[in-house]
Amino acid sequence: MLEQYQISAPILHNQQLHGDYYQLDITAPAIARAAQPGQFIHVQLPAMPDHVLRRPFSIYDVNPTDGRLSIIYKVVGKGTEHISVLKPGTKLDILGPLGRGFSPLPGDIPSVIAAGGYGCAATFLLAKRARVLPTVLLGGRSAGDILLQDAYESLGCQVLVATDDGSAGAKGLVTELLERVLYEAPNSWIAACGPTPMLKAVGMIAESRKLNAEISLDRVMCCGMGACFACVIKRKANTPEKWAYARACSDGPVFKANDIWWD
Amino acid sequence: MADLSINFAGIAMRNPVVTASGAFGYAKEYSNVVPLNRLGAVTVKGVSPFPSHGNPVPRTTEVYGGMLNAIGLQNPGIDKFISDENYLPYLRQVPCPVFVNIWGKTIEHYAEVAARLEAEKKGIAALEINISCPNIKEGGIAFGTDLKLAAAVVKAVRDVTTLPLITKLSPNVTHIGDFARSVVDAGSDAISLINTLPSMAIDIETRSFRIANRIAGLSGPGLKPVAVRMVFQAREAVTVPILGMGGIYSAADAIEFLMAGANAVAIGTAIFSNPGCLVEIIDGIDAWLDRHGIANVNNIVGVMHQAQA
Ligand SMILES: Cc1cc2nc3c(=O)[nH]c(=O)nc-3n(C[C@H](O)[C@H](O)[C@H](O)COP(=O)(O)OP(=O)(O)OC[C@H]3O[C@@H](n4cnc5c(N)ncnc54)[C@H](O)[C@@H]3O)c2cc1C
Ligand SMILES: Cc1cc2nc3c(=O)[nH]c(=O)nc-3n(C[C@H](O)[C@H](O)[C@H](O)COP(=O)(O)O)c2cc1C
Ligand code: FES
Repeated sequence: MLEQYQISAPILHNQQLHGDYYQLDITAPAIARAAQPGQFIHVQLPAMPDHVLRRPFSIYDVNPTDGRLSIIYKVVGKGTEHISVLKPGTKLDILGPLGRGFSPLPGDIPSVIAAGGYGCAATFLLAKRARVLPTVLLGGRSAGDILLQDAYESLGCQVLVATDDGSAGAKGLVTELLERVLYEAPNSWIAACGPTPMLKAVGMIAESRKLNAEISLDRVMCCGMGACFACVIKRKANTPEKWAYARACSDGPVFKANDIWWD
Repeated sequence: MADLSINFAGIAMRNPVVTASGAFGYAKEYSNVVPLNRLGAVTVKGVSPFPSHGNPVPRTTEVYGGMLNAIGLQNPGIDKFISDENYLPYLRQVPCPVFVNIWGKTIEHYAEVAARLEAEKKGIAALEINISCPNIKEGGIAFGTDLKLAAAVVKAVRDVTTLPLITKLSPNVTHIGDFARSVVDAGSDAISLINTLPSMAIDIETRSFRIANRIAGLSGPGLKPVAVRMVFQAREAVTVPILGMGGIYSAADAIEFLMAGANAVAIGTAIFSNPGCLVEIIDGIDAWLDRHGIANVNNIVGVMHQAQA
């Protein structure tokens, strides 16, 4: 059985990285110890009745020894705005670790992580726990959307950057970097997290090259526990339609790219 | 420590707090964070004779005072429900009574699921007949808003099962008491109310519906006063046990329903906000009764009907 907890976690730090991006560190020992790469926490917003639903965030980093757990979040709406002004010491009610994360990166073939925007938070523990370091590709709209480059580099990973406007790294898409890396290392294992169109493109690349790719899909969530069927995604299945809905929160958020039924 | 135990349509429950259908999956999903042996009962997600994909996404959105959902009754179908280890076999080990919520697109569908469950009834305490879902194109609310159809569904189910029947009424009617009487006359042992209210939300920037199905059910705190009123009116109409629900977030909310005439209460949306609320509500009812020197929870059921003199 999965280990999952609901705990009241005090905030240690809550600081702006740059622009709309923030890092939140909390103390959540049981969750920090159980967390696997690609899993997420579900955070309650204190003010009722404006917010009846929790907000999901990927677990970025953990320290099992002191119980610290970190997330990276972008302020996009009322919930994340609310979180951004919370002070150290404030307690957050969180559920976690939730969902199925990434498989460990293989030790015998090269691997590559492709991340768009805050997607790089979901893949960090995967790189940190890798036996053979992955190449890391970070993509975003512009320089301000490139996060955690230093963190990945300090693990020893080679990091390549692409932005839509060319303000950091190569001008273009992270999937173009992926094609380049796969040209050099054609048998790579792929792990990816980011906006759905990017993940679909990663899936297509993997399929055409017969490579293993795992992707973490972002869906609007409600319970986060697999109970309500709000967060579903079409997965290939043995049904007349050839697909069935799977729950992103409990069957995922990480899926084999090949298993997804893209409309 | 007040006595919280109740007898609900012949079902012995350790307390009156139940999970609402659709908010607690099939119990297993929440079993890591909710001690199932504390609950009065669990109600599972609606089961139909056939597997159902449900509606396209987005299926839920937050609104002021609650949320909208149009899941569309996604479920594995009765065959898989009975045989797959995640459903009925798991539910048989759950340490509290299990209510199985059922639905169909035709009267025959309701009878079919009920008959299948009658044959497998070990571990099932009652059937909750959902005649009130706003989110499916056929059936659902149509049965719940037509007195004759509502009674016909209940009678068809009554004919094929000896399990206690709880009929879940639609709030989308003018005279709830008429519906309560109609389903009880047709053989329902208890009633539950209310289901979600048909609603809509629009994103004005993108000019799109926030829910793919366009129409979706409102649940959560905003629903509570409507639900309390309807429980009160249903209690005036029938004497059978009532499972009251709609926006219950706290022990105080639950007690309001009990005073209005509910014998037990179900919690839905609040579980999404805080799975721990179930135990908090049970303990909170206990503490409230102690504070008021009331020894037995049954003593507050329906008190608002006497208080009117
Ligand atoms: C498994 C998972 C992991 C996630 N990890 C992270 C993370 O590490 N860092 C991070 O910043 N965000 C992450 N998200 C997205 C995050 O949950 C949403 O940005 C957040 O819920 C928005 O809340 P809000 O109240 O600020 O926005 P709202 O006011 O609810 O909405 C504002 C805008 O954000 C959009 N939005 C709402 N929910 C989501 C969602 N789930 N995904 C994308 N857009 C959404 C809405 O469509 C709307 O346009 C993750 C989501 C999932 C499902
Ligand atoms: C996501 C969701 C799914 C639901 N699914 C069902 C269902 O399958 N069958 C049913 O009878 N009611 C269903 N309901 C209605 C609830 O059981 C309950 O009647 C309603 O939500 C009001 O209670 P609440 O405000 O505590 O959530 C659902 C509600 C929600 C929010
Ligand atoms: S959010 Fe409820 S099932 Fe995924």
